[in-house]
This record gives sequence, C-alpha cells and structure tokens, in this order.
Amino acid sequence: MQAVILFGVLLSCPLMAIAKRAPALVRNFRLQSFFLFLATLSLGAGEGRVDLYIIAGLLFLLKVLLIPEILYRITRRIKANENIGLFINAQLSLFFVLGMMYAAWVFSKAMFPFAAVLKTTLLAAAFCVVLSGMFLMIFRISALAQIIGMLVMENGIFLLASTVSGGMPFFVEIAIFFDVFVSVVIMGFFVYQINKLFTHINVNKLSRLKG
Amino acid sequence: MDPLSLFFLSVIFLISFPSAVYSFGYLKNEASGKKQALALSLLVLFVAAMVWVVAARNLVVFLVAWEIMSLVSYFLVVFDSTQEKSVQAGTIYIVMTHLGTAFLVIAFLIMSKYAHAFDFASVKAACALMPEKTKNFVFICLFIGFGTKAGLVPLHIWLPFAHPQAPSHISAIMSGVMIKTAIYGIIRFVIMLLGVDSIWWGVWVLVFALISCLVGVVYALMEHDIKRLLAFHSVENIGIILLGVGLAMFFLSLHLYYLAVLSMIAGLYHLVNHAIFKGLLFLCSGSVYKATGTRDMEKLGGLIKNMPVTAACFLLGAMAISALPPLNGFVSEWLTLQAFFLGAGNVGSAGKLFLGVGAGLLALTSGLAAACFVKAFGIIFLAKPRSRQAQNAFEVSFSMKLAQVFLSLLTVVFGVASGVVIKLLAGICAFVLEVDATQMNFSLNNFVLSPQPGNALYLSPPLLALLIVVFGVFAFLAYTFFGNRKVRVFETWGCGYYKLDSRNEYTATAFSKAFRIAFSFFLLPYRKTQKIRESFYHVKSFSYETHTTPVFRKYFYDQILKIVFRSAKFGRRMQPGSIHLYLGYIFLTLLLLLVFMHKF
Repeated sequence: MQAVILFGVLLSCPLMAIAKRAPALVRNFRLQSFFLFLATLSLGAGEGRVDLYIIAGLLFLLKVLLIPEILYRITRRIKANENIGLFINAQLSLFFVLGMMYAAWVFSKAMFPFAAVLKTTLLAAAFCVVLSGMFLMIFRISALAQIIGMLVMENGIFLLASTVSGGMPFFVEIAIFFDVFVSVVIMGFFVYQINKLFTHINVNKLSRLKG
Repeated sequence: MDPLSLFFLSVIFLISFPSAVYSFGYLKNEASGKKQALALSLLVLFVAAMVWVVAARNLVVFLVAWEIMSLVSYFLVVFDSTQEKSVQAGTIYIVMTHLGTAFLVIAFLIMSKYAHAFDFASVKAACALMPEKTKNFVFICLFIGFGTKAGLVPLHIWLPFAHPQAPSHISAIMSGVMIKTAIYGIIRFVIMLLGVDSIWWGVWVLVFALISCLVGVVYALMEHDIKRLLAFHSVENIGIILLGVGLAMFFLSLHLYYLAVLSMIAGLYHLVNHAIFKGLLFLCSGSVYKATGTRDMEKLGGLIKNMPVTAACFLLGAMAISALPPLNGFVSEWLTLQAFFLGAGNVGSAGKLFLGVGAGLLALTSGLAAACFVKAFGIIFLAKPRSRQAQNAFEVSFSMKLAQVFLSLLTVVFGVASGVVIKLLAGICAFVLEVDATQMNFSLNNFVLSPQPGNALYLSPPLLALLIVVFGVFAFLAYTFFGNRKVRVFETWGCGYYKLDSRNEYTATAFSKAFRIAFSFFLLPYRKTQKIRESFYHVKSFSYETHTTPVFRKYFYDQILKIVFRSAKFGRRMQPGSIHLYLGYIFLTLLLLLVFMHKF
C-alpha cells in the first residue's frame, strides 16, 4: 500500500515537469497532494494517532480542494495566456527530473546507509519532490509556476519531516498549513495585480526594471 | 599606567590643550554656533579616544579605541563637508585606515589564539612561546597596520590628503599626536609584547624609515600648498622617529643594550619634538589661512609685516624642524646620528656599511628639510605680497597667538633643557626595553649630553644657546659702534628695472626647480604648455605648467584600483536581475551542499 502511494507522489514530479499549460500543472499538483494525503492517512491508520488524522484532513481540505481551486480561478481570471512558458522543453525537463530522482536516491542512501529500504526510498522521494519544486521555480517563466513550485517544495518538506522524524509537532504543522494558505492567497493577488499592470506574468521580463 | 603610556599621555595633552585654545579663535566667524559646538565635542572625543588607545591593557579594548579614534578623525577631516575635496580626502583616509586596522585584527587574532586571552600580560607570556614563522608573520601584519596609520611610505598616500583638509588645530593634533599612536603601537606590540629576536625586523623598520624620510622631504619640497607641505614633512619625521625605534630593535637583537636605550631615547625624543614643532607649524599655517583665506604659497608673501607674532612663531618652528641648534629638533636628530655612528663602531662590516649609509641619508634629509623651510618661510613671510589677500592680511586673535607662543617656547625649552628630558626618557626606554639603565649615563649634571661613554664627545645645548646669544650681542654691538648706521630708505635693487611688482618675485616653484631636476629620476617631472594664437605671429596667451608624477599613486595604487574595478565589473555579470537565475544560484548551492555532505 505504502509503495503504491509513494509511487504516486513520485510520479507526479515528472508529470509536472512535462506540463506545458497552467491547468495541467495545477491538476498534477492536486494529484501529488492527494497522494500525500493518502500517505498521511495510511500512516495515521497504521499508528492510530488522532493528530495525524486531523493533519490529513487539513491537507485534503487545503492542498487538494482549496488551493488548486484558487489557482484555477487565477488562471481563468487572467485568461491572457495559459502557457506557463518553458525555458527547457518538456523532454529535457523529464530527463532533468529523472536525473534528480537518481541523485536523491544516491544521496539518501549515502546519508543512511544502514536504514531500511522503505525509509531510504521515502527520503529519496521527499528530496526528489523538493528538488523538482525548485526546478519548476527556476525553469518556468510564468509567476504561476513559481507559486506552484513553492507549494511542491512545501509538499516535499512535509514528506521529509514525516519520514525522517515521524512528522513535525502538531501545532507547527497546523501553523505551516495556515502559512501556506495565506501565502497562496497573497501571491495570487500579486499575480493578478502584476497581470493587470503589465498584461503578462512573465517573470523573466522583470529584469527590465533594473536600473 | 606604565611609563610608556604616561609618556604618550603627556604628549597627547601637551599638544591638545594649545590646539583646543587655538580652536576658539580659529573657528570664530568660520562656522555657525552649532558647528563650533560640534567641532569642540568632536575634539574632546578625539582626545579621549587617543587617551583610551594608550591606556588600554587589552587587545579588544585597544582595537575599539583605535577604531573610535579613526572614525572621529574621519569626521574631523570631512568637517568642512561643503568642500568636495574634504569628502574625497576623507574617503581616501577611511579606506586606508581600515586597511591598516584589518591587518591589526589579523595580528591580534593570532596573538590571542596563542594566549587564549586578550589582556596584554597573558599575550606577552604567550608570544614568548610562539613559533618563529608565526612571529614573523605577526610582525609584518603589525608593521603594515601601524605603518598605515603612521604614514610610512608607501602607505602614506592618505596623509597629504587628510591632514590639510581638516581644520588647522585638528591637523596639528592629527599630525602631532595621532600618527604617534602608531609609534606607540609598534613599541607596545612589537618590542614589548612580541619581543624582538630577529635582526631583520630592525633592518626592515630602518629601511622603510629611511625611504619615508627621503620620499617625504622630497615631496614636501615640491609642494606649494603650505599644509600639504607640512603633511609631507610628517611622513619624513615619522621616518626619523622610526629610525630611532628601528635602531633600538636592531641593537636589541644584537644584545647591545646601551645602544638600544640610546636609540630609543633618540626616537622618543624626536617624537615629542615633532609633536611640538609640527603642532606649532600647523597652527601657524592655520593662522595664515585664517588671515588670507588661501593655503597656496604662490599667493602669499610679505606677511611678516602684518603678522609679526605668527611669523616669529613659524620661524622658530621652521628652525626646529630643520634641526638648527639650540632648538629641540637639533638635539633629537643629533642623538639619532650619534646612535648611527656609535652603532657602526660596534657591528660587523656589513652593518657598518648599512648604518653609515643610513646616517648619510638622515643627514641628507635634514639638509633638504632646511631647504624646504627656507622656501616656506621665505615665500610666505618675506618679500612683497603676491596677492590682494596677502596684502590685506591682519594678525590673528589672542587665543590663537597664545597657543602659538606657548608651543614655540616649548621648542626652545625642549632644546635647552635636553639634559633633564633625556634622563626622564632614559627611564622610560629602560622600562620599554627591559634593560637596567641605572648604570647608563647620558648626560652630565643635566647640562651636557654625553652619549658616548669614554669618547670625549659632548653637546651642551644651554652652552650652545648662550654662545649664540653672546655672539649675537657682540655682532649687534659691533654693528652699532662700527657699522654704517646711515639708513637709506629706497626701493629694493631690482637689476636696474623700475616698477617691479610681485609678479617679478621669486616663486616657490622656481625655488624648488633645482631639487626637481636633482631628483627627477624619482619625481618624473613633466610640463604642459598651451598657446592660444590669434594668428601665426600673434600669441594671445601662453600657459606653462609643470607637474611631478605621483609615483606611488600611479604605479601602485592606481594599478590596484584598476584590478578592483575590473573584477567588480566582471562580478556584476553575476547579477543580471533575473529571478530565475537567482533561484538557480540557490538551487545550485543546495546541490553543492548535498554533494559536500555526501563527500564528508
């Protein structure tokens, strides 16, 4: 069961890397968050901890329902262009992400050489998610992709925390959820404003503001 | 407080009090009331910081005091912030002084690493156990750090900019006292804490001191700005002081303790002397500036008629700095020369040659300094006024005159009473060098200096003074009784021309031309001429300028600046303004850290 869920989380990384349009990216993000929710739920069921159930519920509510909905709304609102703009084309991006997956695996094996395979794999998956979030932020032009990249990184860190140390303290987790939600709202607002002012949200053109 | 700190403390107060008195007259009508109050409080802070520097007994405390001193003096340099020149001078100063502080920090960190503490006593104990190589490295760092503050060539670059731009009483303190704190640093940290045990340290200090002497005086000869001229003389005199200190280090490493004490006395004596006469000269130049509004010597002249007191004080200061007997500068330079000669008799042949050459160069320096002050006094105070401002000059206010007269009396006192001074200094030097000096005699009855025991070599400044006075009286009497007493008032003889005006007068540039030619291998003079013609036959105007190349600036500092700017331009490409690239940097750093963690 755990392996299937992990596979889902991992699979969403290359999926996001090859997405060319904003709705596709949001959909893949939703998929990843859903698998993350499943992972947390199964962990909670396995250990019988109530706080994990609550966190899983919050995760579902925020990252699967609310945030993707806000992002969809932004894409619809700014309507100008659904393309997120690729610095690196989809095929090369796929190679990149696969390479990062391998690197994460090598790294986590080097870090915990005597840990169980499942734990090492979980760690590698978490690293891979963080790295692919970073990848999205760097190699995509649209500001929307940057928001999603950040959220993906956040997912990765969540996974990392729950695999390495059995989850963060309950209240910290709650606070982080709240932070993420607020930041998405704020960034969405900014993206909307930027679009209104410049009629696009291409971050690479910000360098024109340089003195 | 140990004797060394007390000595420096007295030097600080000896110069700072007259300067403070002087500042009341100097700043009057010069700045608004608020600004005068600011000047006074900065002055107090400056003096307090210097006191703190010499009183500190802890590396960190010393560094903090040192930094406060540098910063306050920076604010005083840019005090006249309406002038762009001041701001520029301040920038050069603060960059150079922090460069020096950086080297000090390196040296102090190494010292404290060995001592596991910051107080001087434990540092001293630790330095004795330091390996030879580390010790040498610490010495070099300390030498660069303090050398920057002292204005040693080639680190002197800030001095001729910063000192002239500060208000004159501050120039007097900066030149008279502040740069001496660097000498304090060298004595305290190199001789007392680190301990001299390699011969090359002393040789190294001596070589740089000799270079400073010559370069300082040669540049001073070329200068027409009176305060810049004095600033270059500070470079020269710091060199002379360090000759004494360097000789002491040299003799100490050869275990010639008597000579070491003698050289240290010469160094410290010149230190206090330089503080007095350089303070005096800066105050006088400030009075000239206050009276005429210019520091350019070519626009002055004939001031002795309107400003007799200032002229007399300046003359005394000029005589003292030119080492004329019986004033104080003479005694200390004579002692330094004696240390050279006496040392040459006690070392091997290579040492003989080195010390002989050093003595020769020191003599050359004094000669050039005398020439320079003949020029300075002659052009500023004698002959006809060269401009309207000089013509309309008037004597300065009482408080300014008071400070000048006080300091000029000190030049005489420190010359005539050298027997007493030398005894006091012997105690300090014995403490510094940790030598028992009770058996050493440097003077007979506080009256005659006798630095060479056994050799009948004596100098008695009071007798010399008496001799000069007696000769003067005799000459005057002879003139009164036998001279041609008929006074004829007539125009100065001017080669048969009549209607001579100030444009026909000898200029400072013309005076220094001979030296410009003699030292052209170093000064690299060049000239610029420009003719504006109406037609081929009629030249409307013809301008002729002569300049000297600032060698250190052009071939050393400008090259460094070029490299810095070039690398900054290259480094700027890293920052094109693209968010993606910046994110990429973070990403790359993260990956590198992961690889790093994997490796180690």
